[in-house]
Amino acid sequence: MIAILDLGISNIGSLNQAFHQVGLYGTLTNRAADIRAAKAVILPGVGAYGDAMACLRDHGLIEELRAAAAAGKPLLGICLGMQLLASGSTEHGDFAGLGLIPGQIERLPETDQVRVPNIGWCDVTRARSGVLFPEDSEVRSFYFVHSYHFVPKDPHAIAATIDSGSQKFVAAVETGNIFGVQFHPEKSQDAGLDLLSRYVSFLRASGCYEK
Amino acid sequence: MKSDANIARPRLIPCLLLKNGLIVRSHAFTTHQVIGNPMATVRRLSNWNVDELVLLDISGENYHDLRRDDFPVSYRGTGLLDVLHEVAKVSFMPLAVGGRIRTLEDISLRLANGADKCIINSEAIRNPDFIKQAAQKFGSQCIVISIDVKRHADGTTEVFAGDGKVPTGKAPADWAREVAALGAGEIFLNSIDRDGTATGYDIDLVKDVVAAVKIPVVACGGVGTYADFAPGVLDGGAAAVAAANIFHFFEISYPLAKKACIDAGVRMRAVRLGTQWQKREPTYDQAAEDKRLADRMTQAQERDFPAARPEAVQRRRTIRWCTRCVYPSIGAAPMEFDDQGVCMGCRMSQMKKNIPPQEWDKRRQALVDILEKNRCTDGSRHDCVIAVSGGKDSYFQTHVIKNVLGFNPLLVTYDGNNWTPTGWRNLLRMSEVFGVDHIISRPSVGVLKKLNRIAFKAMGDMNWHAHIGINTVPVRIAAQHQIPLVIWGEHGYMDLSGQFSMNDFPEMSYRQRLEHFGRGYEWNYFVGREGITAADMIAYQYPRDEDLYNLNMRGIYIGNYIYWEANDHTQLVIDRYGFEVSNEPFDRTYRRMSNLDDMHENGIHDYLKWIKFGYGRCTDHACKDIRSGLMRRDQAIELVKRYDPVKSRDLKRWLDYVGMSEAEFDAIADTFRDPRVWRSENGAWMKEEIA
Repeated sequence: MIAILDLGISNIGSLNQAFHQVGLYGTLTNRAADIRAAKAVILPGVGAYGDAMACLRDHGLIEELRAAAAAGKPLLGICLGMQLLASGSTEHGDFAGLGLIPGQIERLPETDQVRVPNIGWCDVTRARSGVLFPEDSEVRSFYFVHSYHFVPKDPHAIAATIDSGSQKFVAAVETGNIFGVQFHPEKSQDAGLDLLSRYVSFLRASGCYEK
Repeated sequence: MKSDANIARPRLIPCLLLKNGLIVRSHAFTTHQVIGNPMATVRRLSNWNVDELVLLDISGENYHDLRRDDFPVSYRGTGLLDVLHEVAKVSFMPLAVGGRIRTLEDISLRLANGADKCIINSEAIRNPDFIKQAAQKFGSQCIVISIDVKRHADGTTEVFAGDGKVPTGKAPADWAREVAALGAGEIFLNSIDRDGTATGYDIDLVKDVVAAVKIPVVACGGVGTYADFAPGVLDGGAAAVAAANIFHFFEISYPLAKKACIDAGVRMRAVRLGTQWQKREPTYDQAAEDKRLADRMTQAQERDFPAARPEAVQRRRTIRWCTRCVYPSIGAAPMEFDDQGVCMGCRMSQMKKNIPPQEWDKRRQALVDILEKNRCTDGSRHDCVIAVSGGKDSYFQTHVIKNVLGFNPLLVTYDGNNWTPTGWRNLLRMSEVFGVDHIISRPSVGVLKKLNRIAFKAMGDMNWHAHIGINTVPVRIAAQHQIPLVIWGEHGYMDLSGQFSMNDFPEMSYRQRLEHFGRGYEWNYFVGREGITAADMIAYQYPRDEDLYNLNMRGIYIGNYIYWEANDHTQLVIDRYGFEVSNEPFDRTYRRMSNLDDMHENGIHDYLKWIKFGYGRCTDHACKDIRSGLMRRDQAIELVKRYDPVKSRDLKRWLDYVGMSEAEFDAIADTFRDPRVWRSENGAWMKEEIA
């Protein structure tokens, strides 16, 4: 069973539909027991950082997710879900995250090249090959909607970036069994569905998903 | 700052207006014309790799209904959220939803049903603090503030609320700054006076607002040609450019619009015509479709008709009729009424009459220009294809293209095997009287019989094959012969129900074909039924998008360029070309010059329209004749009451043709009675009558 975390604050319908399109039928849940039973967990999210962490805490999910990560279960965070993987965020305060990939979530700097929120299609370039962006991946546009970005402690965690010319921002992270994308693959049409399909193949290959 | 230096690529956004469940075309925020059901349009756009989609609910009440039950698509319930839920299933692009958002709960529910962002307008003006609350709860990225602006005669601009009707005294730039400070993530800027005018964006307004804020600004309102988009980004500095109407009018509209932007130097994402993840043709869950069909046959056998069930009461709607003609509010055609209760068919007919002669001269020149551009200079192909049925319109079109304008057309006909003897004679004479080549495409009669039978049972219309055949075969043959132009007569729904404005110049499209001619049933629906194979359906397979795009194929309606009055044309083609009208009257209409190519089209096919919606072809003809000034409304009402209910004599031929008993026909037909219209009282079918 693949658990798709449903905290009631994300665009869960869109994401689930996209997963169906690429052949993954997960279980929408906010129950700790389901996380424990799952072979892999998907952590979507839109909304505010503090609220999302409070919601995880209320459902007793923080320790559960850390345990799942420690047990080597694949964890994929999407958008805010990716940011929750970090140590913490400064969005509207100072909040601790799951701490699965050390680093901070910081506000995007407003420049001539970057309007905040950054809304739209940005070209994503592979930083390091892995499950999300294999060796032969070409530069493709993905859909972003965010005001904050992930600054991992270890640059090696960065799987892909977007480039404003003067500065690069993290588009995806990957360390071992922990994966995250800042963009919305479920809203990135072919590029997004291709990536999700790749991820589902990975889940199958690693014995997490059989269908 | 030029926004094409931004880290995010500029977006091209189709904006769909949703009114009571259907997509509408809009003019000046007041006139609305029905384009079709949202799922068909959204699916098509999603396949074209659209950057983002805006869906604005402009309904006055939270009531949504597809208005008819013979489509394969449907949604549960009658609220916006039910529509949204279905739309989201075919939308793999960002979806921003606006309209009637007043509470945080409204936002939550939209997000839960597939929206990615919410667009707020009136509530933001009424209670600016709402922006702050919404941004805090859902994040700024989720909150788009829509600003409707009117430019006054003296050149000043003002923000309007309440669907563009209530002045606020606010200057656009000031209000934009205010909403940005309150936490809005994006501004959707609409020009009220440019809406539906096709005169381009109000670039000064766009610049003014872009300069005032750091959040992205989406420009909307005024786009009339694909070339109008680029200045919104390049000159106005908008992060995205949006339009509503234009995407409904032309084939492959979004890819062509995007190509125009990229060619003009806007750094947009590349054009894509399709995706491996979702085919252009609908996919049917054949097991579910089999069950739907079997359920209907059971209903017919047990005489358990949906419109006669007790719960049908809840679905009944009050029917109103146009106050000028006799068109009903619930019917087969995409129809909308204005505030005065006048239908769009009458409004657009009036608009057509008001077009001055010099404007018709311009239109005629535009037609000549299109033909000239596609003329073949080396004799390797014909100049254009004319889709002909051998009727009065076919004669008139060929007269204009060949004998008046001097082009060399290839006539193409779909033969559905339902000819009246007069119609068949008229058709075969065309190549002689006009001196033109003519291809008549005749599908297997065995397959035709199956299609008649299956389509009658599935959608209550045996003539699916004819509607799709007529709209597919000429395009297929044009593509095969590398002829980039197909000429049609008049746009049927523009004439009948005013679906478009006379300034839209709508062209043929796959969406219009599938949705309005095929009712959402594509050729592949039939594969596997009664042993039909894909190869049996070749004639009904529309050319691929790639073929249409590469050939730059267009299908134009001559009625947009040459004044179209069916009654006058008939006299002309009788006098000049010996066109024959029927010497035997039709059972279901007083007109004798229409639909000679298909005895069932005016006959038993049309009788099913009566069964479903309570009106028929006589209503259509009377509406047109009222608008032409040939008939009074009271005369029309009398004719409609006499002709619309008639069960026509061609039924016998059809029953013999497909092997069905009349009792079986009647029982299946009654399953299609629309509960919005019909009720059963002591075993008799009753409905409201036109007064």
